[in-house]
Amino acid sequence: MSKIIITAIGKDRPGIVSSVAGVLYQLGCNIENVSQTILQSEFAGIYIVSTPEGTDFETFSEQFHGTFDEKGLHVHIEPMALEDTQEPSGEHFIITTIGPDSRGLVYDISTVIAEAGVNIINLKAVFEGGDNPERNIMVYEVLVPDTVDRHILSGTLKEKATSLNLALTFQHKNIFDTVNRI
Amino acid sequence: MLNDSELISTVEMLKYEHLDVRTVTLGINLFDCASHDLEIFKANLRKKITRLAGNLVETCNAIGDKYGIEVVNKRISISPIGVVAAPFNADQMVEIAKTLNDIAVEVGVDFIGGFSALVEKGMANGDRALIEAIPEALTQTDRICASVNVGSTRAGINMDAVLLMAKAIKRGAELTSDKDGLAAAKLCVFCNIPQDVPFMAGAYLGTGEADAVINVGVSGPGVVKRAIDRAIEAKPDLGLGDIAEIIKRTACKVTRVGELIGREVADTLDIPFGVVDLSLAPTPTVGDSVGEIFQSLGLISIGAPGSTAALAMLNDAVKKGGAFASSHVGGLSGAFIPVSEDLNIEEACRNGFLNIEKLEAMTCVCSVGLDMVAIPGNTSEETLAGIIADEMAIGMINNKTTACRLIPVPGKGAGDYAHFGGLLGHATIIDVKNCQGENSFVRHGGRIPAPIHSLKN
Repeated sequence: MSKIIITAIGKDRPGIVSSVAGVLYQLGCNIENVSQTILQSEFAGIYIVSTPEGTDFETFSEQFHGTFDEKGLHVHIEPMALEDTQEPSGEHFIITTIGPDSRGLVYDISTVIAEAGVNIINLKAVFEGGDNPERNIMVYEVLVPDTVDRHILSGTLKEKATSLNLALTFQHKNIFDTVNRI
Repeated sequence: MLNDSELISTVEMLKYEHLDVRTVTLGINLFDCASHDLEIFKANLRKKITRLAGNLVETCNAIGDKYGIEVVNKRISISPIGVVAAPFNADQMVEIAKTLNDIAVEVGVDFIGGFSALVEKGMANGDRALIEAIPEALTQTDRICASVNVGSTRAGINMDAVLLMAKAIKRGAELTSDKDGLAAAKLCVFCNIPQDVPFMAGAYLGTGEADAVINVGVSGPGVVKRAIDRAIEAKPDLGLGDIAEIIKRTACKVTRVGELIGREVADTLDIPFGVVDLSLAPTPTVGDSVGEIFQSLGLISIGAPGSTAALAMLNDAVKKGGAFASSHVGGLSGAFIPVSEDLNIEEACRNGFLNIEKLEAMTCVCSVGLDMVAIPGNTSEETLAGIIADEMAIGMINNKTTACRLIPVPGKGAGDYAHFGGLLGHATIIDVKNCQGENSFVRHGGRIPAPIHSLKN
């Protein structure tokens, strides 16, 4: 077995990352990649970890759960398949929707994205001033494969956005990097 | 992932603040098209321009779509026709203009600029033929722009040429009297003309440039205005130094957008990238105004006392921001004050805040000159030549580019209204002193000598 994925979700508090990293160190593992985010008071972290040679998944999982003091965190462990490490060929675009929040908004937009075979690799909600509900902004960073017709996707997204009373932008990520980075 | 404010500010600039790539201009060198035979020359022009520009419009649209930013105009600038077509007479020059117009339609560009001559020190046969051809050429075509450089800091001011240009402007306006003198709106008289301007009507491709080049003109007065408004709202006692810094940083971002688009167009077409011209170039659209920036800065109107100082600060900050953003900044790069193309500036003229004297003063510190200024149709050639000479002198002495795009509107006088249409907008005709009078000064002709500081060696 080469790599495993550990996902930890729960109430945020100081010490979560150090406790996860500490257990992995004790078990002879190396953290190869990690991503974590905090949404309001909730923590979510994903760790890609390589285990010592000869370790099998069931043994590792038992050892981890046995050693880690979960303290209200939900921890999920699974092996990582080799093909998971390869990012498909494509380009990064940023989709933003601007307008009043409504039930199903994320579902509607993300369904259009999914039906086009496009993956959302980052998603965040930005609320520009609480007293202006017209200016709620959702930001989707997507990886558009080379095989996807961007114009059709753009047209479908804009149609959907209009039906939801939203303004929508669909732009290559480079323009954001270019404007904001020296 | 970018942070929230970076995302929001970029989206707002592109969606709500009228940031656009005002033009991608393909510069094409025509010296290898030269011929003594008119038909061969016209065929050479068509072959070279259609070969290089065939995919320009489509490429600009695709790249604009990719980045969610419109490339508003796709244009071509060419080597000065007064030089390339030097063997031909005035009538033949008009034929050449018509051929260029047909080519512009064929490849789908808005304008071809470069029906031009460089006569700061003297006029050759080709230059004279071109200047003579200008009124008819601009009347019989829709998509051709002309420019003549009559002065430079190194050479002085060719007053014979100034008088000829006054004559050409008047004649062109008369021939297009049904359109309020529209031909004159496609004609610029320059001092120290830059050879890589992507904006019309002054675009041409100078000597020393590559065989073909992509130049980009990016604009965004609305973006600058909003940045100033936000900053002052957050801190009302902001000093002018801090305001200049905000303008500079905003200009930097805007320039980066232009370079991104321009370089990608250049790479796609396999043509070298030339320059980004960051010019705050307004349009007659609400929110896309240079004049409004003055009000954001605290002036009651552009033209009120303090305007020249404000414009000096604005123009300089724009240049600094652009220079930091790109190592290939060129063209005019600064702030334009085109009267008819800016709703707010036009209103300032109508309300009496701006007259031709104040406009002339402000051109000392802006990046162009007396631009899209409608004057009485009965302005004499001599008075018109005097106005041009004044503007050229500002450029010559101060080692900067200045230009005149003046429209004597036939049949109309000060206070009347001229309508040019589209991006050229509309304007109230402003008063001119000694409007119909004589002017022996300009009739002396000859060349005003170059200033002493031109001896730089």
